Amino acid sequence: MLVEFELIKRARGGDGAAFNQLVLAYRKRILGTIGRLIGHPEDVEDVGQEVFLRLYFSLDQLRSAEVFEPWLYRLTANAAYDYLRKRRRRMESRMADLSEQQVLVADAIAGEKVNRDEGQRKQIRETVDSLLADVSEDDRVLLMLKEVEGLSLKELGKIYHVNENALKVRLFRARQRVLKAFRSARKPAAGFSGSH
Amino acid sequence: MEHQNHQTENDEERLIALFGAYRDTCPDPEPSANFMPQLWQKIEARERASTVLGRLARNVVTATLALSSILALAVSISYSRMETLPSETYVEVLAEQHAGENLDYFEPVHIEPIADHR
Repeated sequence: MLVEFELIKRARGGDGAAFNQLVLAYRKRILGTIGRLIGHPEDVEDVGQEVFLRLYFSLDQLRSAEVFEPWLYRLTANAAYDYLRKRRRRMESRMADLSEQQVLVADAIAGEKVNRDEGQRKQIRETVDSLLADVSEDDRVLLMLKEVEGLSLKELGKIYHVNENALKVRLFRARQRVLKAFRSARKPAAGFSGSH
Repeated sequence: MEHQNHQTENDEERLIALFGAYRDTCPDPEPSANFMPQLWQKIEARERASTVLGRLARNVVTATLALSSILALAVSISYSRMETLPSETYVEVLAEQHAGENLDYFEPVHIEPIADHR
């Protein structure tokens, strides 16, 4: 926990200053998580503000200060999911759109051949974004929380209010879908690089 | 078969490495100076909107209650008026009013032929 339970209780009781302190303590972490979940740095602050806005108006529903962090992660996951859903509606990005260069970047990362400059970082973000285009938005968020954020199944269980076995099944399926996309994207790349 | 398993493991490792690299490319960003002021602006805007909506909803509820009371009153008045009205039909009422003028006493009219005086 980044803050004392007392601060959460005060914020829950409508203390604006306590809420302000709460946001100041968690905003950097939440913005980082959102950035990795949505993959679009330009929209991170907007989604982050939406998370804290939802927190402000739902704090009175929080059962106890002990479950504050899973609650905040749940709000974060939901806001990221809503953003991704809206974005997908705006532009349909497909796995087939993975460029040759993106595939080579993915391969190079695995071989740790890249000295990452900003261009390559962008390329990595776009590659992961394209790979995840074939899974649903909620599976994407779940997969990212597990694989990128490194949350345990127990923590995810608290966030999603489901048992660990159900989460394992969902994660396995989502991972298989991404792996399939990863393999099919690498096949033409192998052929391409092999011909040169 | 063994080669296939090895390939699958290899792909999984590559994917995990890719996710790891992705994590490194997106470190926790420093929030901008506008983050907190904008957040409080949004909170206040939503509070205002919910206050306006709440007031509107209260007004609508009050108006609906008043309208239903008026309608209920009007309906009850019209029912009470209907109770004073006769339940008979128009013909029955007429027959009742002219009960003394019983048409059964009327005899058929006999028209005598005019005698021929020629």
